[in-house]
Amino acid sequence: MSSTTVEHAAPEADLRRRGIRLGDVLFKGISVVAALAAAVLLALIAWKIFDLAWPAMRDYGPSFIWTDAWNPVTNEYGALAFVYGTVVTSLIALALATPLSIAIALFLTEIAPRRIAGPIATMVELLAAIPSVVLGLWGILVFGPWVRDHLEPWLQDVLGFLPIFSGTPSQSGILTAALVLTIMIIPIASAICRELFLRVPRDLTDGALALGSTRWEAIRGVSLSYAAPGIVAAVLLGLGRAFGEAIAVNQTIGNANLIPTSWFEPGNSLGSKIAAEYAGATSVQQASSILYLAAILMVISLATNVVAQIIVVRFDRARKAV
Amino acid sequence: MKRALALTSLVVATVAVAVVAGHARPASAKQTAGSLVGTGSTFVYPLISKWIPAVDKAYGIKVTYSPTGSGTGIAQVTARTVDFGASDAPLSPDQLKACNGCVVIPWGLAGLSVPYNVPGIAGRLRLDGPTLALIYLGKITNWNARAIQKLNPSLKLPDLKITPVYRSDSSGSTYAFTEFLSSVSPQWKKQVGLNTVVNFPVGTGARGSSGVTGVVGSTQGAVTYVDAAYAIANKIQFALIKNRAGGFRTPGVRDIQAALSQLPKKIKSLKQLKIVDPPKKAGKKAYPISTFTYVIVPTKSGSKAADLRKFLSWSLTQGQKFGPPYYFAPLPANVQQFAGRQIVKIKS
Repeated sequence: MSSTTVEHAAPEADLRRRGIRLGDVLFKGISVVAALAAAVLLALIAWKIFDLAWPAMRDYGPSFIWTDAWNPVTNEYGALAFVYGTVVTSLIALALATPLSIAIALFLTEIAPRRIAGPIATMVELLAAIPSVVLGLWGILVFGPWVRDHLEPWLQDVLGFLPIFSGTPSQSGILTAALVLTIMIIPIASAICRELFLRVPRDLTDGALALGSTRWEAIRGVSLSYAAPGIVAAVLLGLGRAFGEAIAVNQTIGNANLIPTSWFEPGNSLGSKIAAEYAGATSVQQASSILYLAAILMVISLATNVVAQIIVVRFDRARKAV
Repeated sequence: MKRALALTSLVVATVAVAVVAGHARPASAKQTAGSLVGTGSTFVYPLISKWIPAVDKAYGIKVTYSPTGSGTGIAQVTARTVDFGASDAPLSPDQLKACNGCVVIPWGLAGLSVPYNVPGIAGRLRLDGPTLALIYLGKITNWNARAIQKLNPSLKLPDLKITPVYRSDSSGSTYAFTEFLSSVSPQWKKQVGLNTVVNFPVGTGARGSSGVTGVVGSTQGAVTYVDAAYAIANKIQFALIKNRAGGFRTPGVRDIQAALSQLPKKIKSLKQLKIVDPPKKAGKKAYPISTFTYVIVPTKSGSKAADLRKFLSWSLTQGQKFGPPYYFAPLPANVQQFAGRQIVKIKS
């Protein structure tokens, strides 16, 4: 009897060992292929976009980037209005989302009691789960009219002497799109900031408090400076999202091919223009000009990511030196 | 325990997907005989969705149609991923070349309304082409402008800024509207021109027919152009438009058909199908902004050719009777004959 059980056990263990080895090999294979595929895919996409954009790049040259024109009837194309719209809406969104995200994260980690912090953190993160097309619809139907009827008249009363807050309030324009983008960035940026603040060593904060600093001084001196490189990375990640967003911006920016002096007026962004026009391009020049816009957008986004990484590395080095 | 549960559900889900996918593929392959797949224009969708059961009943041909937009329709038939594409604008020379042997056949006819949001006026607004052109050029900016007041002597027009609203996506409606404005206003033709996307000097762009309708509904002082069916379904008031004979009309079925009365008896090319801004001879009843909607089919359609010919011939004859409840006007005989001559070109 005993001998049979031994015989039984041995092949089983053997099988299990072999199974693990097979699993290891499979796992390694799959991860290597996946990692390589991601890199190759990026290269292929970039190559294809530049390849398809080439006719426009050849015909219009680099001056395409600073030419303000978009006329499919006469086949005159330039990207300036869209680059302007993309950069301005994203920077407004960033300027608003950064302090708000830090404030939300600090509230959740330092101020709110744990019972409240949990549910609020979940709700803020769920904000990121709203599909951008739904957020855009809300922008058209609810938020845009509110901006036009309440926010913009108020801004005009208070800051109307600035050209960017002059003109007629309208429901779709640079400002509305920027505010929708702000709402899209906040959940990402605040979730990352919250993680960063949670990782600040308790000893450091306690030390600062023990030395007689106030709550705010401890946050400013310890938490914020400890998390600074991470915050910069979080913000730039949000910026990447804002640059690339097409649909929600398309629904709220007003889609005018011009550079408006007032933020109340309609403009357009790179992503929005690409989404709106590619499917129905009526000429070869139009199609390849739209891909030229895509190439510009891709370069801007990649550059943002590279800058983010450089900043993080610099900060890290500086902190280690201290 | 949790991990086991997760693993099990993952396995179950994978198997379920594999099974469904495995079954779906042979099933669709079996259906290829007697089935047609198309995509494109959202505008023509209400009509096609009525055709689908009827054509199944008449010939046993199963038609699947996805309303994705005219631009997508053209792109997909060019890539030959569908059997036919539908577009509200005729193909541009570049598009026709890219499509490599496609026929473009008119198969629906409808009017473009000019909806507006001007509160507090008693009665329907009257507009004419030159005034609309000046509004979209940004030369007329207020609803109480003298040019509009002159057309509406009985209305008390408010002091309200005009917001022209246009389609931001590539659109057959934009094509028809800018074709009309180019026809009535030399300045528009010179400064802006006609296309599925143009460089509008003023105004706000919105995506799709529902987008422009939505903006007009929520913006006081807005005006736009959209398929009549959309304005009616959303209960938005639309303007009476002046024709060459001096009549002010809305896009009713008879008004659209009146606009076609001056087309040549025998139509030889798509270029002759100009129906916006009809001549004075068309009479006071003619509505001046109508558009054909087209189906695009490869001349080399392989095994689908016979079914395509059957389906299209049916849609051009019996199919037209389904139109009026959805504000589509039945095609006149000369256009039907022209379309028939195109259908014959579809070969296997």
